[in-house]
Amino acid sequence: MSKEVMKDLREKLKGKIIDIVQPRKKRIYIRVEPKKAPEVIEYLFFKYKCKFCTATGMDIREGIEIIYHLAREDKNMVINVKTLVPYPNLEIKSIGKKIPAFRWVEREINEMLGVTFIGHPDMRRLLLADSFPKGKYPLRKDFKHSDVNDEDYDYERSGL
Amino acid sequence: MKLLFYYLIFPGFIFASVIGLLTVWLDRKVSARIQWRQGPPWFQGFADIGKLLYKEVIVPEEAFGSGFIAAPLFGLASVTLAVTILCVSLFNMSEGFIGDIIVVWYLFAIPAIALIYMGSTSGNPLSSVGVSREIKLLLAYDLPMIIVIVMIASKADSFSIRAIMDWQRINGSNISNWYGIIAFVVAISCTQAKLGRVPFDLAEAETELGSGILLELSGGVLAVYELSKAIMLFGLPIFLIILFWGKGIIGGVLLYLLIIVLLILIKNTNPRVRIDQAMKYFWGWMSGAAILAGLLAHFGV
Amino acid sequence: MDVLKKAFKKSIWVFHLSTAGCNNCDIEVLELLTPRYDVERFGIKLVGSPRHADALLVCGAVNAHAKPRLLEVYRQTPKPCLVVAFGSCGCSSGIFRDSYSIVGPVDKVLREEDPDVKIVYIPGCPPKPEAMIEGIVMGLGAI
Repeated sequence: MSKEVMKDLREKLKGKIIDIVQPRKKRIYIRVEPKKAPEVIEYLFFKYKCKFCTATGMDIREGIEIIYHLAREDKNMVINVKTLVPYPNLEIKSIGKKIPAFRWVEREINEMLGVTFIGHPDMRRLLLADSFPKGKYPLRKDFKHSDVNDEDYDYERSGL
Repeated sequence: MKLLFYYLIFPGFIFASVIGLLTVWLDRKVSARIQWRQGPPWFQGFADIGKLLYKEVIVPEEAFGSGFIAAPLFGLASVTLAVTILCVSLFNMSEGFIGDIIVVWYLFAIPAIALIYMGSTSGNPLSSVGVSREIKLLLAYDLPMIIVIVMIASKADSFSIRAIMDWQRINGSNISNWYGIIAFVVAISCTQAKLGRVPFDLAEAETELGSGILLELSGGVLAVYELSKAIMLFGLPIFLIILFWGKGIIGGVLLYLLIIVLLILIKNTNPRVRIDQAMKYFWGWMSGAAILAGLLAHFGV
Repeated sequence: MDVLKKAFKKSIWVFHLSTAGCNNCDIEVLELLTPRYDVERFGIKLVGSPRHADALLVCGAVNAHAKPRLLEVYRQTPKPCLVVAFGSCGCSSGIFRDSYSIVGPVDKVLREEDPDVKIVYIPGCPPKPEAMIEGIVMGLGAI
């Protein structure tokens, strides 16, 4: 069954992806450029009928690597779409514009890692407090606890 | 001068508040024992009131200040008056104190109205939810109780307390007949609702509403409210004793303890009901039972 | 006045406030109301509104979300009142000390508002019920 999935995806997504590997029986990793990521994901979500699980972001030296995890339960596969958004402009087109399921996780990646999602309809803080200073991104590797002092918190914005 | 003594010292304010606070302690101790715990010591009620007088009173900005402080005092004054009238008749200290049973019942209703007023002037949206529930509850339990009171008064051919007690001394107490037993069940439910205890405490002390109507009270104002609740816990069983047994002080103490134990048991074995369930209960079942008791009383069963 | 102060020690009403914690301490507070460690015999009961409270039981390390709300609830409690910093997170932020969202243990936050607030520290993760009762009794002795 997994061989069919690999063949299918390799044909349909020919010109849009960098490469596609299957390191284990139930996992497929597709690497794409940030410009092509929305097309590939929309194809997988609408035409190939995958379900969206979550998205993760990690700060590596060249940029921020975002992996979108999608699943097909009937074929027992988890399909991961990897993109590398390079420093210094961290911008990628937002998928939350068309598919509402992606909106919250894009808000979280934006506030924690500093990636701008172009076209997102509702970019607000999700988990961090509104009084946390802007411009500081806690989950980056060069963030230290001493970067944010007590004076930087702006409680006027906390809504109380 | 003698009236002032009756109102303030005995059997008015001081006597009623002492016995009322001891009854509140008895309630908490018996509830704790039912749950296999120790309970608080005997002076707990007095300690609560003393502690509340020690704290400051905070009046919130949106509240209507003078009404906020005056309403509980009205409630305390009227419930003390009601208890004075009842006890004077009960202890045979007659000097023209021909109390009216309807007057006493509506003097007991004034603390509920004071509570509604306190809740509305608090300026808090949670209090207003509690106020709407309290208004509905007040309308609900008034109806069956009025039917019971009118039935008992019509048996005795008079509304005065002395006449009801005399009638029962001559013709046997009301509870020894079938209509008396049904009416007693109705009266116990209405008493539980009036005191604001589980299963009908949806307006007053509400863990879902963060104490509902009482949310903004603090310090001395809360002390006045707790004291009026304690005096009502003393007065309502005496009201029931007069209506259903008509005994004076001799059998009265044991009957008082019996009614208190019944109220405690109902409190500990029931959950809190919703407001629509409470209204269906009072306007449906209890009113039906009260009308049935009235018919049985008419035919002399 | 002395009688009222003695009465204050015999009946403490507690309001439970949970700032950003793991909720373990919140569950342990319920143990005190069970028959084994009954605290109602000291006159302590849980109330639903901070305006009725004499003691604020603050569980959890204080978050940036929770800080203005903790200060607001403290202002709404009628004085004199006692604050209980409950658990390791309340006393000293516990294991969340270097996190990006914790703004300080309970005493650091409250001393901005009122420098002479009386705080009782009950350490432990979560504290044992015997430690809780000892903390309460020590707090009552120091009023």
